[in-house]
Amino acid sequence: MQRVTIDPITRLEGHGKIEIFLDEAGEVANAYFQVPELRGFERFCEGRPVEELPRITPRICGV
Amino acid sequence: MAKLKLALYWAATCGGCEVAVLDLNEKILDVAAAADIYLWPVAMDYKYKDAEAWPDKFIDVCLFNGAIRNSEGEHLAKLLRAKSKVMVAFGSCACFGGIPGLANVADREGVFARVYGETPSTDNRDGTRPQTSFAVPEGELTLPHFYDTVKTLGQTVPVDYFLPGCPPAAKQIWAVVQAIVAGQLPPPGSFVGVAEKSVCEECPRVKEEKKVTAFLRPHQVIPQPEKCLLEQGLVCCGPATRGGCGAQCINANMPCRGCYGPTERVTDQGAKMLSAIASIIDASDEAGVKKVVDQIVDPLGTFYRFGLPNSLLTRVRV
Repeated sequence: MQRVTIDPITRLEGHGKIEIFLDEAGEVANAYFQVPELRGFERFCEGRPVEELPRITPRICGV
Repeated sequence: MAKLKLALYWAATCGGCEVAVLDLNEKILDVAAAADIYLWPVAMDYKYKDAEAWPDKFIDVCLFNGAIRNSEGEHLAKLLRAKSKVMVAFGSCACFGGIPGLANVADREGVFARVYGETPSTDNRDGTRPQTSFAVPEGELTLPHFYDTVKTLGQTVPVDYFLPGCPPAAKQIWAVVQAIVAGQLPPPGSFVGVAEKSVCEECPRVKEEKKVTAFLRPHQVIPQPEKCLLEQGLVCCGPATRGGCGAQCINANMPCRGCYGPTERVTDQGAKMLSAIASIIDASDEAGVKKVVDQIVDPLGTFYRFGLPNSLLTRVRV
Protein backbone atom coordinates (compact mmCIF):
# COMPACT_ATOMS: atom_id res chain seq x y z
CA MET A 1 0.00 0.00 0.00
CA GLN A 2 1.45 3.31 -1.07
CA ARG A 3 1.69 6.08 1.49
CA VAL A 4 1.76 9.86 0.97
CA THR A 5 2.82 11.93 3.96
CA ILE A 6 2.11 15.67 4.10
CA ASP A 7 4.24 16.95 6.96
CA PRO A 8 3.77 19.65 7.98
CA ILE A 9 0.54 21.14 6.73
CA THR A 10 1.41 24.76 5.98
CA ARG A 11 -0.25 28.17 5.73
CA LEU A 12 -2.38 27.75 8.82
CA GLU A 13 -1.93 28.48 12.53
CA GLY A 14 -0.80 25.38 14.32
CA HIS A 15 0.81 22.09 13.53
CA GLY A 16 -0.71 19.33 11.44
CA LYS A 17 0.21 16.23 9.50
CA ILE A 18 -1.76 14.15 6.98
CA GLU A 19 -1.10 10.51 6.14
CA ILE A 20 -2.77 9.28 2.96
CA PHE A 21 -2.84 5.59 2.03
CA LEU A 22 -3.38 4.57 -1.61
CA ASP A 23 -4.71 1.22 -2.79
CA GLU A 24 -3.37 -0.95 -5.66
CA ALA A 25 -5.22 1.21 -8.22
CA GLY A 26 -3.68 4.38 -6.80
CA GLU A 27 -6.97 5.53 -5.28
CA VAL A 28 -7.17 6.95 -1.77
CA ALA A 29 -8.03 4.08 0.55
CA ASN A 30 -7.88 6.10 3.76
CA ALA A 31 -6.46 9.33 5.13
CA TYR A 32 -5.56 10.43 8.63
CA PHE A 33 -5.27 13.99 9.91
CA GLN A 34 -3.03 14.32 12.94
CA VAL A 35 -2.22 17.19 15.27
CA PRO A 36 1.29 16.66 16.64
CA GLU A 37 0.94 19.59 19.03
CA LEU A 38 -0.46 20.23 22.50
CA ARG A 39 0.42 22.91 25.00
CA GLY A 40 -2.06 22.19 27.78
CA PHE A 41 -3.81 25.51 28.43
CA GLU A 42 -6.60 23.45 30.02
CA ARG A 43 -4.17 22.49 32.75
CA PHE A 44 -1.98 25.51 33.31
CA CYS A 45 -4.84 28.04 33.35
CA GLU A 46 -6.00 26.26 36.50
CA GLY A 47 -4.88 28.22 39.53
CA ARG A 48 -4.47 31.49 37.64
CA PRO A 49 -6.66 34.42 38.77
CA VAL A 50 -9.63 34.88 36.47
CA GLU A 51 -8.68 38.48 35.72
CA GLU A 52 -5.35 37.28 34.32
CA LEU A 53 -6.90 34.91 31.78
CA PRO A 54 -7.49 37.66 29.19
CA ARG A 55 -3.69 38.04 29.22
CA ILE A 56 -2.95 34.30 29.02
CA THR A 57 -5.57 32.80 26.69
CA PRO A 58 -4.82 35.14 23.74
CA ARG A 59 -1.67 33.02 23.41
CA ILE A 60 -3.78 30.03 22.43
CA CYS A 61 -3.68 31.58 18.96
CA GLY A 62 -1.91 34.80 18.10
CA VAL A 63 -2.69 34.82 14.40
CA MET B 1 25.57 40.79 -2.85
CA ALA B 2 23.79 37.47 -2.60
CA LYS B 3 20.46 37.60 -0.85
CA LEU B 4 20.28 36.34 2.70
CA LYS B 5 18.71 32.95 3.24
CA LEU B 6 16.12 33.20 6.02
CA ALA B 7 14.16 30.50 7.82
CA LEU B 8 11.32 31.11 10.26
CA TYR B 9 10.01 28.27 12.37
CA TRP B 10 7.59 27.76 15.25
CA ALA B 11 7.58 25.06 17.89
CA ALA B 12 5.21 25.34 20.92
CA THR B 13 3.84 28.77 20.15
CA CYS B 14 0.71 30.70 19.24
CA GLY B 15 1.72 32.28 15.95
CA GLY B 16 1.79 35.77 17.44
CA CYS B 17 5.49 36.03 16.62
CA GLU B 18 4.67 35.38 12.95
CA VAL B 19 2.10 38.16 13.05
CA ALA B 20 4.65 40.43 14.74
CA VAL B 21 6.87 39.93 11.68
CA LEU B 22 3.94 40.91 9.47
CA ASP B 23 3.47 43.97 11.72
CA LEU B 24 6.50 45.34 9.89
CA ASN B 25 3.78 46.27 7.37
CA GLU B 26 5.25 47.62 4.13
CA LYS B 27 8.78 47.07 5.44
CA ILE B 28 8.21 43.34 4.88
CA LEU B 29 8.87 44.20 1.22
CA ASP B 30 12.34 45.44 2.23
CA VAL B 31 12.89 42.12 3.99
CA ALA B 32 11.85 40.32 0.81
CA ALA B 33 14.26 42.49 -1.22
CA ALA B 34 17.19 41.63 1.06
CA ALA B 35 16.40 38.02 1.85
CA ASP B 36 14.87 34.89 0.39
CA ILE B 37 12.67 33.04 2.84
CA TYR B 38 13.27 29.29 2.59
CA LEU B 39 10.98 28.13 5.32
CA TRP B 40 7.99 29.75 7.02
CA PRO B 41 5.17 27.30 7.69
CA VAL B 42 2.53 29.89 8.53
CA ALA B 43 2.98 31.69 5.23
CA MET B 44 4.67 29.38 2.71
CA ASP B 45 4.55 25.77 1.64
CA TYR B 46 7.49 23.48 2.32
CA LYS B 47 7.96 20.09 3.92
CA TYR B 48 10.30 18.93 6.66
CA LYS B 49 12.04 16.67 4.16
CA ASP B 50 12.99 19.77 2.14
CA ALA B 51 14.77 21.23 5.18
CA GLU B 52 16.42 17.87 5.90
CA ALA B 53 17.88 17.90 2.37
CA TRP B 54 19.67 21.24 2.78
CA PRO B 55 23.42 21.16 3.33
CA ASP B 56 24.61 22.16 6.80
CA LYS B 57 24.80 25.96 7.36
CA PHE B 58 22.69 26.49 4.23
CA ILE B 59 20.49 29.08 6.00
CA ASP B 60 22.08 32.39 7.03
CA VAL B 61 19.62 33.28 9.80
CA CYS B 62 16.92 31.18 11.44
CA LEU B 63 14.29 33.00 13.51
CA PHE B 64 12.98 30.25 15.78
CA ASN B 65 9.94 30.96 17.92
CA GLY B 66 8.18 28.69 20.37
CA ALA B 67 9.17 26.62 23.36
CA ILE B 68 10.35 23.01 23.13
CA ARG B 69 7.38 20.97 24.27
CA ASN B 70 7.74 17.64 22.45
CA SER B 71 10.15 15.54 20.41
CA GLU B 72 9.10 17.22 17.16
CA GLY B 73 10.06 20.65 18.50
CA GLU B 74 13.39 19.26 19.69
CA HIS B 75 14.03 17.59 16.32
CA LEU B 76 13.30 20.79 14.40
CA ALA B 77 15.45 22.83 16.80
CA LYS B 78 18.40 20.47 16.24
CA LEU B 79 17.79 20.24 12.50
CA LEU B 80 17.54 24.00 12.00
CA ARG B 81 20.53 24.61 14.27
CA ALA B 82 22.60 22.37 12.02
CA LYS B 83 21.28 24.02 8.86
CA SER B 84 21.68 27.64 10.06
CA LYS B 85 24.73 29.85 10.46
CA VAL B 86 22.91 32.06 12.96
CA MET B 87 20.17 30.84 15.29
CA VAL B 88 17.92 33.48 16.86
CA ALA B 89 15.57 32.63 19.74
CA PHE B 90 12.67 34.77 18.54
CA GLY B 91 10.07 35.73 21.12
CA SER B 92 9.64 34.87 24.76
CA CYS B 93 8.63 31.22 24.28
CA ALA B 94 11.94 30.42 22.57
CA CYS B 95 13.92 32.67 24.96
CA PHE B 96 12.32 31.77 28.29
CA GLY B 97 9.57 29.17 27.76
CA GLY B 98 6.80 31.76 27.51
CA ILE B 99 3.15 31.07 28.25
CA PRO B 100 3.46 27.39 27.14
CA GLY B 101 6.19 27.12 29.80
CA LEU B 102 3.53 27.59 32.48
CA ALA B 103 2.74 23.92 31.79
CA ASN B 104 5.76 23.17 33.98
CA VAL B 105 3.28 23.37 36.87
CA ALA B 106 2.37 19.84 35.77
CA ASP B 107 3.97 16.85 34.06
CA ARG B 108 2.77 14.95 30.98
CA GLU B 109 0.32 12.86 32.97
CA GLY B 110 -1.08 15.95 34.67
CA VAL B 111 -1.61 17.73 31.35
CA PHE B 112 -3.09 14.65 29.62
CA ALA B 113 -5.40 13.86 32.56
CA ARG B 114 -6.89 17.34 32.44
CA VAL B 115 -7.02 17.79 28.66
CA TYR B 116 -8.23 14.31 27.67
CA GLY B 117 -10.30 13.48 30.75
CA GLU B 118 -11.34 16.06 33.24
CA THR B 119 -12.39 19.23 31.42
CA PRO B 120 -16.18 19.73 31.47
CA SER B 121 -16.34 19.71 27.67
CA THR B 122 -14.42 16.45 27.26
CA ASP B 123 -16.38 13.29 26.46
CA ASN B 124 -13.76 10.57 26.32
CA ARG B 125 -15.29 7.52 27.94
CA ASP B 126 -12.74 5.20 26.37
CA GLY B 127 -9.91 7.22 27.90
CA THR B 128 -8.21 7.72 24.55
CA ARG B 129 -4.82 9.40 24.83
CA PRO B 130 -2.28 10.41 22.20
CA GLN B 131 0.07 7.53 21.33
CA THR B 132 3.56 7.94 19.91
CA SER B 133 2.82 4.89 17.75
CA PHE B 134 -0.60 3.65 16.69
CA ALA B 135 -1.47 0.76 14.39
CA VAL B 136 -4.20 1.38 11.83
CA PRO B 137 -5.29 -1.20 9.21
CA GLU B 138 -3.15 0.53 6.57
CA GLY B 139 0.02 0.82 8.63
CA GLU B 140 1.54 2.68 11.56
CA LEU B 141 0.81 6.29 12.56
CA THR B 142 3.15 8.23 14.79
CA LEU B 143 2.94 11.32 16.97
CA PRO B 144 5.76 13.17 18.75
CA HIS B 145 6.69 12.24 22.30
CA PHE B 146 5.17 14.79 24.72
CA TYR B 147 7.75 15.67 27.36
CA ASP B 148 7.16 16.13 31.08
CA THR B 149 8.98 19.46 31.04
CA VAL B 150 8.89 22.42 28.65
CA LYS B 151 12.34 23.71 27.70
CA THR B 152 13.62 26.89 26.13
CA LEU B 153 15.37 26.82 22.77
CA GLY B 154 18.66 27.66 24.51
CA GLN B 155 18.26 24.64 26.80
CA THR B 156 17.95 22.50 23.68
CA VAL B 157 20.52 23.84 21.18
CA PRO B 158 23.17 26.58 21.17
CA VAL B 159 21.53 29.95 20.42
CA ASP B 160 23.38 32.92 18.93
CA TYR B 161 20.91 35.72 19.69
CA PHE B 162 17.87 36.24 21.88
CA LEU B 163 15.08 38.53 20.68
CA PRO B 164 12.43 38.46 23.43
CA GLY B 165 8.90 39.77 23.73
CA CYS B 166 5.40 38.36 23.61
CA PRO B 167 5.46 39.25 20.87
CA PRO B 168 8.63 41.23 20.09
CA ALA B 169 7.75 44.82 19.25
CA ALA B 170 7.71 45.40 15.48
CA LYS B 171 10.15 48.31 15.67
CA GLN B 172 12.60 46.08 17.55
CA ILE B 173 12.24 43.33 14.93
CA TRP B 174 12.93 45.88 12.22
CA ALA B 175 16.05 47.15 14.01
CA VAL B 176 17.36 43.59 14.27
CA VAL B 177 16.54 42.83 10.63
CA GLN B 178 18.50 45.93 9.61
CA ALA B 179 21.44 44.84 11.78
CA ILE B 180 21.36 41.38 10.19
CA VAL B 181 21.27 42.77 6.66
CA ALA B 182 24.10 45.20 7.44
CA GLY B 183 26.12 42.46 9.14
CA GLN B 184 26.20 44.52 12.31
CA LEU B 185 25.01 42.03 14.89
CA PRO B 186 26.58 42.21 18.37
CA PRO B 187 28.70 39.36 19.77
CA PRO B 188 26.95 35.96 19.82
CA GLY B 189 25.03 35.24 23.00
CA SER B 190 23.60 38.78 23.13
CA PHE B 191 20.04 39.87 23.57
CA VAL B 192 18.95 42.01 20.62
CA GLY B 193 15.97 44.28 20.07
CA VAL B 194 15.85 45.19 23.75
CA ALA B 195 16.56 48.12 26.05
CA GLU B 196 19.50 47.94 28.44
CA LYS B 197 17.45 48.75 31.51
CA SER B 198 14.15 47.73 33.04
CA VAL B 199 10.60 48.51 31.95
CA CYS B 200 10.47 51.06 34.80
CA GLU B 201 13.00 53.13 32.86
CA GLU B 202 10.62 53.25 29.89
CA CYS B 203 7.51 53.77 32.00
CA PRO B 204 6.26 57.37 31.87
CA ARG B 205 4.41 57.19 35.20
CA VAL B 206 5.37 59.31 38.17
CA LYS B 207 7.30 57.32 40.74
CA GLU B 208 7.44 58.50 44.32
CA GLU B 209 8.04 56.68 47.55
CA LYS B 210 6.83 53.12 47.39
CA LYS B 211 5.00 52.09 50.54
CA VAL B 212 2.44 49.40 49.86
CA THR B 213 0.00 48.42 52.59
CA ALA B 214 -2.26 46.28 50.38
CA PHE B 215 -2.09 44.55 47.01
CA LEU B 216 -5.28 44.99 45.04
CA ARG B 217 -7.06 43.13 42.26
CA PRO B 218 -8.57 44.94 39.26
CA HIS B 219 -12.13 44.90 40.57
CA GLN B 220 -10.96 46.70 43.70
CA VAL B 221 -9.41 49.77 42.11
CA ILE B 222 -9.48 51.99 39.04
CA PRO B 223 -5.79 52.77 38.56
CA GLN B 224 -4.76 56.38 38.24
CA PRO B 225 -3.20 56.76 34.79
CA GLU B 226 -0.20 58.81 35.80
CA LYS B 227 1.00 57.18 39.00
CA CYS B 228 3.26 54.10 39.33
CA LEU B 229 1.02 51.04 39.38
CA LEU B 230 3.05 49.33 42.10
CA GLU B 231 2.63 52.38 44.33
CA GLN B 232 -1.12 51.96 43.82
CA GLY B 233 -0.93 48.37 45.06
CA LEU B 234 -1.13 46.69 41.66
CA VAL B 235 1.50 44.02 41.12
CA CYS B 236 3.57 45.25 38.17
CA CYS B 237 6.62 43.28 37.03
CA GLY B 238 8.33 46.34 35.54
CA PRO B 239 11.17 46.41 38.11
CA ALA B 240 12.20 42.82 37.21
CA THR B 241 11.64 43.02 33.48
CA ARG B 242 13.88 44.10 30.64
CA GLY B 243 12.63 47.08 28.67
CA GLY B 244 12.32 47.29 24.92
CA CYS B 245 8.56 47.04 24.59
CA GLY B 246 8.03 50.74 25.19
CA ALA B 247 5.93 49.96 28.30
CA GLN B 248 2.96 49.14 26.08
CA CYS B 249 0.86 47.39 28.73
CA ILE B 250 1.50 50.09 31.33
CA ASN B 251 0.52 52.76 28.83
CA ALA B 252 -2.79 50.90 28.50
CA ASN B 253 -3.21 51.11 32.30
CA MET B 254 -2.31 47.44 32.69
CA PRO B 255 0.58 46.27 34.87
CA CYS B 256 3.62 44.61 33.28
CA ARG B 257 3.65 40.82 33.31
CA GLY B 258 7.28 40.45 32.41
CA CYS B 259 7.25 39.24 28.81
CA TYR B 260 10.69 40.64 27.92
CA GLY B 261 12.27 38.47 30.61
CA PRO B 262 14.83 39.39 33.26
CA THR B 263 17.19 42.33 32.92
CA GLU B 264 20.81 41.82 31.89
CA ARG B 265 22.24 41.26 35.37
CA VAL B 266 19.35 39.20 36.75
CA THR B 267 19.26 35.41 36.52
CA ASP B 268 15.85 34.72 37.99
CA GLN B 269 13.07 37.15 37.13
CA GLY B 270 10.67 35.90 39.79
CA ALA B 271 13.28 36.15 42.54
CA LYS B 272 14.04 39.70 41.43
CA MET B 273 10.32 40.49 41.58
CA LEU B 274 10.09 39.00 45.07
CA SER B 275 12.98 41.22 46.07
CA ALA B 276 11.21 44.26 44.62
CA ILE B 277 7.98 43.38 46.42
CA ALA B 278 9.81 42.80 49.71
CA SER B 279 11.39 46.23 49.56
CA ILE B 280 8.14 48.18 49.17
CA ILE B 281 5.85 46.55 51.72
CA ASP B 282 4.96 48.95 54.49
CA ALA B 283 4.47 46.79 57.58
CA SER B 284 6.02 46.86 61.00
CA ASP B 285 6.10 43.17 61.88
CA GLU B 286 6.13 39.73 60.29
CA ALA B 287 2.39 39.22 60.67
CA GLY B 288 1.79 42.53 58.91
CA VAL B 289 4.11 41.56 56.05
CA LYS B 290 2.40 38.20 55.70
CA LYS B 291 -1.00 39.86 55.53
CA VAL B 292 0.13 42.05 52.62
CA VAL B 293 1.98 39.28 50.77
CA ASP B 294 -1.00 36.94 51.05
CA GLN B 295 -2.95 39.40 48.95
CA ILE B 296 -0.82 38.46 45.93
CA VAL B 297 -3.13 35.82 44.49
CA ASP B 298 -0.81 33.86 42.21
CA PRO B 299 2.90 34.60 42.75
CA LEU B 300 4.15 31.79 40.51
CA GLY B 301 1.84 32.58 37.61
CA THR B 302 2.55 36.30 37.95
CA PHE B 303 6.30 36.47 38.60
CA TYR B 304 7.10 33.59 36.25
CA ARG B 305 4.36 34.27 33.71
CA PHE B 306 6.69 34.08 30.72
CA GLY B 307 9.74 32.35 32.11
CA LEU B 308 9.17 29.34 34.36
CA PRO B 309 11.37 27.00 32.25
CA ASN B 310 14.13 29.65 32.22
CA SER B 311 14.00 30.21 35.99
CA LEU B 312 16.17 28.61 38.65
CA LEU B 313 13.09 26.56 39.53
CA THR B 314 12.51 25.42 35.90
CA ARG B 315 9.37 23.59 37.01
CA VAL B 316 7.08 22.63 39.88
CA ARG B 317 7.81 19.28 41.48
CA VAL B 318 4.90 16.88 41.04
